[in-house]
Amino acid sequence: MNSVKFILNKKIISVDLSQGPYGPTTTVLEYLRSQPHLKGVKEGCAEGDCGACTLVLGDLQSNGEVRYRNFDSCLVFLPMLHGKELITVEGIGDSSCLHPVQKAMVDTDGSQCGYCTPGFIMSMYYLYNKKEKASRDEIKDCLTGNLCRCTGYRSIMDAAEQSCGQEKRDNNNFSSQSKKLLDSLGVTDLAIETNKQSYYQPRTLDSALSIMSLNPHARIVNGATDLGLAVTKQKALLESLVDISCVNELKEINIREEGVEYGAGINLEDLRLHCADYFPALQAMLNVFGSRQIRYLGTLGGNIASASPIGDMPPVLMAYEAIYTLVSELGERKVTSREFVTGYRQTVMKENELIKSVFIPFPKNNHHLKSYKISKRKDLDISTVSAGFQLKLKEGLVEDIALIYGGMAAQTKRADNAEAHLRNKAWTRTNVEEAMSLLSKDFTPISDARSGEEGRRLMARNLLLKFWNETQYD
Amino acid sequence: MTSSKNVAHESAKLHVTGEAIYIDDMHVNDQLLIGRVFYSKEAHAEICSYDLKEALAVNGVHAILTHEDIPGENQMGPVVHDELVMAIDEVSFIGQAVFIIAAETEAQAIEAERKIKIEYKPLDAILSIEDAMSKGHTVQPTRYIKRGDVEKGFAQSEFILEGSLKVGGQEQWYLETQVALAVPGEERDILCYSSTQNPSETQALIAEVLGLSKMEVEVQIRRMGGAFGGKETQGNHVAIWASLLAQKTKRPVKIRLFRDDDQKMTGKRHRYLNEFKVGYNGDGSIKALQTTLNADAGSATDLSMAVLERAMMHAENAYYIPHIDITGNAWYTNLPSNTAFRGFGGPQGMASIEQIVDIIARKLNKDAAEIRKANFYGIEDRNTTPYDQVVEHNRLPHIYQELLESSDYKARRASINDYNAKNEFFKKGMAFTPVKFGISFTTSFLNQAGALVNIYKDGTVLVNHGGTEMGQGLHTKMRQIAAIELGIDVSKVKVNATNTSKVPNTSATAASAGTDLNGMAVKDAADKLKLRIAEVVCGIFNDKYSGEPSVNSNLIFLNNEIKDSANPERAISFQEAVLKSYLGQVSLGATGFYKTPDIWFDRENGTGHPYYYFSFGMAVTEVLLDVLTGHYMNLRTDILHDVGSSVNERLDIGQVEGGYIQGVGWCTTEELKWDAKGNLLNHSPDTYKIPNIQDVPDDFRTNLLKNHPNGVPSIHRSKAVAEPPLMLGFACWLAIKDAISAVGEHKYEPVFELPATNEVILKAIDSVQDAAKLSI
Repeated sequence: MNSVKFILNKKIISVDLSQGPYGPTTTVLEYLRSQPHLKGVKEGCAEGDCGACTLVLGDLQSNGEVRYRNFDSCLVFLPMLHGKELITVEGIGDSSCLHPVQKAMVDTDGSQCGYCTPGFIMSMYYLYNKKEKASRDEIKDCLTGNLCRCTGYRSIMDAAEQSCGQEKRDNNNFSSQSKKLLDSLGVTDLAIETNKQSYYQPRTLDSALSIMSLNPHARIVNGATDLGLAVTKQKALLESLVDISCVNELKEINIREEGVEYGAGINLEDLRLHCADYFPALQAMLNVFGSRQIRYLGTLGGNIASASPIGDMPPVLMAYEAIYTLVSELGERKVTSREFVTGYRQTVMKENELIKSVFIPFPKNNHHLKSYKISKRKDLDISTVSAGFQLKLKEGLVEDIALIYGGMAAQTKRADNAEAHLRNKAWTRTNVEEAMSLLSKDFTPISDARSGEEGRRLMARNLLLKFWNETQYD
Repeated sequence: MTSSKNVAHESAKLHVTGEAIYIDDMHVNDQLLIGRVFYSKEAHAEICSYDLKEALAVNGVHAILTHEDIPGENQMGPVVHDELVMAIDEVSFIGQAVFIIAAETEAQAIEAERKIKIEYKPLDAILSIEDAMSKGHTVQPTRYIKRGDVEKGFAQSEFILEGSLKVGGQEQWYLETQVALAVPGEERDILCYSSTQNPSETQALIAEVLGLSKMEVEVQIRRMGGAFGGKETQGNHVAIWASLLAQKTKRPVKIRLFRDDDQKMTGKRHRYLNEFKVGYNGDGSIKALQTTLNADAGSATDLSMAVLERAMMHAENAYYIPHIDITGNAWYTNLPSNTAFRGFGGPQGMASIEQIVDIIARKLNKDAAEIRKANFYGIEDRNTTPYDQVVEHNRLPHIYQELLESSDYKARRASINDYNAKNEFFKKGMAFTPVKFGISFTTSFLNQAGALVNIYKDGTVLVNHGGTEMGQGLHTKMRQIAAIELGIDVSKVKVNATNTSKVPNTSATAASAGTDLNGMAVKDAADKLKLRIAEVVCGIFNDKYSGEPSVNSNLIFLNNEIKDSANPERAISFQEAVLKSYLGQVSLGATGFYKTPDIWFDRENGTGHPYYYFSFGMAVTEVLLDVLTGHYMNLRTDILHDVGSSVNERLDIGQVEGGYIQGVGWCTTEELKWDAKGNLLNHSPDTYKIPNIQDVPDDFRTNLLKNHPNGVPSIHRSKAVAEPPLMLGFACWLAIKDAISAVGEHKYEPVFELPATNEVILKAIDSVQDAAKLSI
């Protein structure tokens, strides 16, 4: 099947991607901006950092419900809409008949230049249609991914509270029509081949693995929050892609006695909501991971496999001693999170292998786990320095400790000297301060756009002290 | 109900529905070509050779132009002609245009760009102010503003303090990147839709570069997606490039800069290195200040001298300093030429005096707010600026007292001290900072504006004026002013897209003066029209009614009616009066004009009356600082700002809040860094961090000063708003410093910079801790 079928503002759309002008890596934003009457959506940065291109996407769940999320349309390739519902600002109201979020935004003066406004409106529209009314924190979190340079946000916050923060919202039957339309789409696997590109979107794990073995150089894509940048920023041509975002086996969550097995395809927002009760240090990291638009796209497996030295998931997963299950046509194998990364964006994964799932064991009672992230801006920023710390205490002594840092080396790296100094010693401030001074032996950080070397060294030291301080209250 | 003071932004409904049309959204026929700029990847180099053959052969490419293809002048400097449209044989910054490409699709243009071959021979590049200062290359001769005798002042002072402050630049980060669409017309005509704050200048430069007369070039802008000074001159560049390509290809050409290219290629707020020596007494009063402001101008003049001038005129901010000696230099570097950004030098000038006051307070172990109060300009005396202008209608003492009380400053200070005594790893800080900002272009002749108001036969009114809409709500205010003056509903008035063919020779919408200047011009046009209509109406009344005849001066335009105040039964609807005027062969279109009275400045001597009036405002910010991460939370901010009698309180509140947050961004997370070759490292929002919704104060209380109309006869006695509130952001900067200082119980001076990134914060904390250890 060469054509992508989706619902756009309650109408069924079919776009043939095999013969131009659109191709398999045309972004949703590009597609809409090329249409004469869908230019409300704006490009602010083409990298998912500003939210001017925010839209709402609906997915038919296995329980028959449609689930909506806000997302950055600059990063998403057109085939990812296959079988889904897309809502743009043109689909929710017009100047003669405003939607309640639009009316609230007018009433509170939430727009000045107006360029970011449709993006804010779409994030608010998503919030408005959720079952529960939005709390202040929920509103802030949901709008973190939308930048405004004019207003100072207070008026936008008020607009969201006046519309989405109310118990009484007129959003019943919001998705009933969509359900029928989505059901009627009857989508199947996509296999798009043009003279320059191929794009496969299988719906089962077996099918994904066999496509991968037939196309050994194909890039794996799920949410495209990383790979999308190759297209939008470097203007690269991605020749062969296997899109695993429709493989449901990769989205399973199994709670076991010893821990939780998370499918690698689970998106980071779903993970954030789920892990709250089990893995607070993981949730703390996810709370400052990108924006909601990004977390809805990005996946657990994607963040691990990209093996970036500033990835947010690896330090905390290593602190939890997570175990990754890798799968290929040849079978499955398990690798511990602490052995997974071998160098700058290098891992133990072989060609044709996927991360299938991530098992996170429940920490024991004497285990103390924390995660930290320091970034120039608290929210929606990439780590300057991040950390996942695990302390095993036995009768006041350090039985074992893992101090895992991101942003301090070419890969996520443990502080071997500092750890060695602390093992079998009392967990005291004096000992910790001695270990802090050993971090300079463990790391030779770089200076870059985010911080100088000295700043990074200070951050790494301070985080260890912060960890000591916070374990006093555990 | 005629025209409310508090109408929503005229485009609000269009913004929220996505119906507002920006240049990139305009429908163009299928002849449209996409323009792209091939720019220098070297900070300073000789161009040895280039080859365009392969690039020209790319399918869909219609033109690749070099400097040799420019029919007119290869110059686009706005004030001084020292900025090339395209490089000739040397490049002087990374991001400088060398070639421009037009192709049918963006992909084709990119392919062509990649196939252009060019060889450079790198030359020495100047990439820092310090380096520029050591090489001694200034843009123009040093500027001075002096009053009194600083040496005498130092001699009379109990204490002397010397230091310096590095003040960072700032990227405007308008959401809509630079964009222009040029459409060729008949003969040699060019119509350019340009996201520009200065259409007349864009028009003039297009004409000069294309070798056309100005009558052949029309520039139009309906709205910009933000500008903040970044489109005062920088919008000209893409407009010129697009127009050149349109002229050459005879097809419409659009250039919209990609975000990263925009950040790399265009000028920003100037970074400054300020050096100072100050004399003060034990009561905190500042007796003498000697300061040198050093600006990084970048590779060309652009607006650097005007920015420097304003920085110098704001180096004392709200404080009377008897002996003062201000020196200003703008230095060339091999970076994109720095330019206007909200505040226009004011912020950079004020930063060091605010830092000085903060240091003095710590040295004297006093509350910084008290030191500020002790030094404010006086009402009756101590009220002359270093450039000899009297600070009239001084609102500083009033605002200070009112905000001190409404913010509960003293009680909160006590509770902060209490909190800090109990917490090691978290500290609270608070600061109370003032802004005094001069309103008018310091280049006096720019203080003029024009308008063209047309009344149609159905009684509706179309207003054209020289100002541009960038989100600030200027069109909304112009609509209100026209409606108030003509006595009709705002719904009967529309403001047209700004177009050089309607109002000629306008000044940039800048210096916060858009409403002041254009509002008066609109009023002038409306007054002329009223006079003409009034004559017709008097004729009608005098035909219809016997008794004392109606006279013009008694007619009142109100509530969509025209009435004779001496004979209230004599009334006619505005619409009918308009129709009768038309039938009576009376012109219903009028131009209006305004020039700001009584302003002048003598640059040689650094004295004059450059400002029509001053705007004032103050802010109190309280932060909670995580001592170990350098992250902070803005717990509460109280602002009291003076806008005179507001034309529109809703819009003005939005300007004040937005200005404050933009100032906070400049003071905290917005950092610009370059590598050793002159490449900007923070060239996208990935690494350039403007505030987001999480950075807004939890408790944000913004108020406009009530019952204080402007002391001079400005439009409806209002005051400008746009720029001054940006500098309220110092309250957050110094609150963070106060929290850092609390780590050493306020005994040691933190090493501080602007912006205070968490790296700067952590280093400052480290320095305070080191000082504390040494003193044990």
